[in-house]
Formats: sequence, C-alpha cells, structure tokens
Amino acid sequence: MDVLMQVEHVTRHFGSGRTEVVAVDDVSLSAAPGEVVLIMGPSGSGKTTLLSMLGGLLQPSSGRIRIGDDDLTQLDESRLPDVRLRHIGFVFQDFNLLSALSSLDNVALVGRLNGLSRKEARQRAGELLEQLGLGHRLTFLPEKLSGGEKQRVAIARALVNKPDIILADEPTANLDSHHGHETMRLLRRIAKEEQRSVIIVSHDQRIKDIADRILWLEDGAFKNAVEMATDPVCGMSVDKDSAPAQVKWQGQTFYFCARGCRDEFLAAPATFMPGQAN
Amino acid sequence: MFYLAWRNLSQSRTQFLLGVGGVALALLLMLALDALLAGSEEDLVAYIEQSNADIFVAQEGVKNMHMAASAITLRDMRLAEHNPEVVSASPILYTTSVVKAGDSDVLSYIIGFDPDEPLGGPEEVVAGTAVVHSDEVIIDDAVARSQNLVLGDEVEIMGHTFTVVGLTRGLTNIVNSISFISLRDFQKLRPGDAVSYALLDVAPGANLAQVAAAINGRNPDVLALPTAAFSREERQIIKDMSVEILNIMNLSGFLIGLAVTALTLYTGTLRKRQEYGVLKAIGARNRHLYSVVAVQAALSLVLGFVAAIGLVWLLGQVVPLLVPGMGLALTQTGVTRVLVSALLIGVAAALTPAWQLARLDPAQVFRS
Repeated sequence: MDVLMQVEHVTRHFGSGRTEVVAVDDVSLSAAPGEVVLIMGPSGSGKTTLLSMLGGLLQPSSGRIRIGDDDLTQLDESRLPDVRLRHIGFVFQDFNLLSALSSLDNVALVGRLNGLSRKEARQRAGELLEQLGLGHRLTFLPEKLSGGEKQRVAIARALVNKPDIILADEPTANLDSHHGHETMRLLRRIAKEEQRSVIIVSHDQRIKDIADRILWLEDGAFKNAVEMATDPVCGMSVDKDSAPAQVKWQGQTFYFCARGCRDEFLAAPATFMPGQAN
Repeated sequence: MFYLAWRNLSQSRTQFLLGVGGVALALLLMLALDALLAGSEEDLVAYIEQSNADIFVAQEGVKNMHMAASAITLRDMRLAEHNPEVVSASPILYTTSVVKAGDSDVLSYIIGFDPDEPLGGPEEVVAGTAVVHSDEVIIDDAVARSQNLVLGDEVEIMGHTFTVVGLTRGLTNIVNSISFISLRDFQKLRPGDAVSYALLDVAPGANLAQVAAAINGRNPDVLALPTAAFSREERQIIKDMSVEILNIMNLSGFLIGLAVTALTLYTGTLRKRQEYGVLKAIGARNRHLYSVVAVQAALSLVLGFVAAIGLVWLLGQVVPLLVPGMGLALTQTGVTRVLVSALLIGVAAALTPAWQLARLDPAQVFRS
C-alpha cells in the first residue's frame, strides 16, 4: 500500500532541564491514500502539537515526517510554506475563513497563492463549491453562512490546490450533530473518491464511525490504537478487532458490522468492490 | 492580494472613512497651506505679470515691489529709454497707504500712473474705465465688494478724496490690494522729482536679459530686471517669509498623517491577526502578507491624497468668496512635496504591521 504521510519516531519537547515538557513522545504513524485517520485524546495530550508538526508549522525535536518525497524535518524553513500550500489542505475548528471575502474568493485566494491565474482560481473554486452544494452561496460573506456552510467552504479551500493530505482540527467542534456528521461524511467521501489521506484530530466521539483508523493519544504517545475498517455493504465503520464477521476474498480481508452484511457480500462480492460493480 | 487588501480596508465603512478621512485631512493641512501661499504669490505678482512691461527699472538694489521703496530720477528713466531696443518707458509712483471707505481702512498699494503712457495702469477692468483723471481712482473689485463700494462712490487716499471710476479684478491679495490714481495726483500728494519704477516696452525679438544688462551697465544707480526675473524676486519674498511656517505645518501634517495611517494599519492588522495567521498556515509567505499591508497603506494614502486635492480645489472655490483677496493655487512643487510625504508616511506606517506579521506564528491557528 502507498503511503502519503509517514511519521517516524517524532518527539517534541518544550523548554529544557527541570522545566522541560515532552508534548509528543516518540510517535509514529502513516496515512495511506483514501484513508481517514482519527486522532483522539484528552486535552493536553499533545494533539495540537502533533497536528502542528504534521502540517509543517512546527518542527519536531527529533524524528522524521515525510510527505511524499519531502522530508519536512529536513526542509529549509523557507520551503515549508510551499509544501503546505501544495500538499496539505487545512480544515480548522473555527472555519477561519477570511471575513472580508466571499465564499468564492476565500477558496480562490488559496489557488492564487499557488500560482493559478485569477480566472483559473475562480473557476476551480466555483466548481468545488458547486460540488459541495454551495453554488448558491458563492458571493456570500462568511457572516451570512451557517456553520455547516462555512465548514464546507473551508473544505473547498482545503481542496483547491488538490493536496495529498487533509489535516482537520476538530472540524465538528462548532457544528451541531447534523452538520457535524454531514461534514465528516464529506471528508470521508473526499478521502475515498479522490484518494487523499484525511487526518482528523477530534474529541468528538460521534464521528468515530467514519474513521478507518482511530489513534488514541495520551501523554504525548499513542495508546491502544484502534484500527477501523469500512463495512463494504452498509458503509459503516467497524473496529477490526471486534468486528462481528470478517471474510477473506481475493487476498483481501473485509470486515462487517453484522452477519447479515457478510451474507449479502458473499452472495455477490464483486458488486461491493469499488470499480467492479455492474 | 490587492483585492484582499481592498476588501480588508473597506470592510468596515466607518473605519475606512475615518482612516482615509484622517489621511486626507492631514495631507490637506500640508496641501492647503502650500496652495494658500502659492495663491498669495500669484496675487502678489498679479500687477507685475499683468503689466505687459518687458523690463522693470528700479532703484539700484531694489528687486521687487512688496514692502520695498524705490526711487529713480526722470533722468535715470530717460537714460534707460535711450537704449535702442527700448520702445517706451512708462513711469509709476508707488507707495503703501490705506483706502478709507466710510469708517473702514483697507490697506492698499497706491500706484500713480500716467494714462497717456502705454504701461503702468490697470490692464483689465471689470467695470468703469481704465483711464483715470484728476481725483479719480480705480480700485479692485474685491475691495469694492468688501466695502460695499460702487462706481461713483468716494474714498479717501492719503488725505485726499477720490471718486471710484473703475474696478479691476485679481489685484487683491492676502495682505492688501492695489489702487490706481493718476501720476499727477500722486505727485501732488507726495511732491518730488523721482518716480518709483519705470516700466519698459522692448522691441519684439530683443533679448531682454541683454537689454537689462546694457541699462545696468550704463547707469549704476538703477537695477533693470526682465519682468520674469522681477516677478521671481517678488515671489521669493513670499517664500522667504513663509518658509518657517510652511515647514512647521508640513511637519505637523506629516506627523498627523503618519499617526493616522500607522494607527489605521496597526489596528487593522491586529484585528485580522488570526486571519493572517491562517493565511500563513495555509502557505502564504511573508511577502504576500506584506503586500496586503503595503497595498492597504498605498490605497489609504492615494485615496486620502485624491480627497485632499479635491478638498483644496473646493476650498479654492469657496475661500475667495468668503475672504476677498485670499486665493488657493495648487502648484506642481506643492503637490509633489505632499506626494513624497505621503509616500514616506506609507513606508513608515507599514513598518510596524509588517513586523507584526513577520513575527506571527502560523501554528497559532490550532490554538483557538
């Protein structure tokens, strides 16, 4: 399996001597194309520090972070903005849209930063917003949008430069349950359809079912990692270790939320394989 | 980034108007004073430049008329007239006095001219006649309006009563005006053989500087200057008198403009700190953010500058109606000076916000 992001033994400490605090301690993880990784953990567990390092906003004290061929820990400081611009899409807890710009301009601006012409950037931004159901909100300022709409604009902004990785920081924290789920389903769809890696940091227990893998960060280190899989029949996320049923087919293992789904799958496996359905 | 800068700047209409308005008023302070002094210069040299004289002959050492006293003999004048290039020499007598109209005194330069000579009198009258006879005076229209005088009214000059027979226009300046009486009346009131200045008409095509030099070479008691040079000297008087106040006002305007622009940019940047952090996190470089601040500074100053020019123009229309004799004239030098000041204000005002942005940690976006 290809890996879009590879994190190897990353540690970050602040201060030194008796005041030293280890925020992230020897963390490793990888994210594959199409994979949704959910990092959970209590406050102060190091999630924000880890996310900042994954996004190239903070250098680790030791360890390596690779995105494709770029080793973020070896790159000159001046090259990091380019890596962030081209390879990473950010989705923030507070949406963080530019309040003076319309939805369209918020998205197009990031394309412009990446060198697109004004026309290209606006066209691409318009297409993305249309795809995300915001075609009727292109000229609206953020203050005129609902929370869910703002988050969709933020997702469009994260996607405009076609990044390999999307980093989302508490993307549902300021959304109600309905819009939170809608946002998470959207992120999952993007990961699956466009083969991007989506790494989400969240406290929100309600979104566990959309993740392929859940990592629990505590005291700066991953503990009791839970690996998730998607039931190919109903689309639900299931814990691989406790899935009620699993099947090996054509060298691949499939996990199911219930035996009924397994039986349905076994009746016509090809129907549930991406790209093989009639 | 230009669009973002514009949108950031204009997002809050009140703040935008206050910012641009503040800059406009600061620049107006510089521009208006400059225009006022330039206007005064224009008014002060109006008689000289409208006189149609090619050369002014004055007493040796006297290079202008304002606050000056000059006396040349008729012989001196005739000597100048004998230059082969000189067509005619017209004498004028000149002093500072007051025009009494009822209970009011209006400070005025009194020019005595000979109506039979081609030069020296008013070149343009808007009412009445340009020719004066005994006991007649031509005053400026602005004085007439301010004192409610009309043709036929009487005024007192140097203790003698004159009847107003003509009105000129544009010969009132910030300090006084010009009134014309006949040379003969002037001589009666201030007896003497001398005249103040001789206005020479020179043959077309002659080199004025050479003619003036020849007159000066022949007679060391006089100073002949081509009208352009004479006018320049007159302007210089205003400049010399106003340079200190102009510098103080320019400095005040500069500092106010700097304070307003710097404060607008600083608070604007502070207000958008989180958004700039987001841009930095997303991948914008410092230069992108600097360009936003620079464009905002430039837009504030350009709009403020244009508004200031507009306001000066407006003042130029209104002030002469309210204060006769006070005019405003925009000069290229004045506009350039204010433009350069605005540029310096922009650069200085943008430094602190740029420093703020350079120090902005993009990782702050995850610490909301």
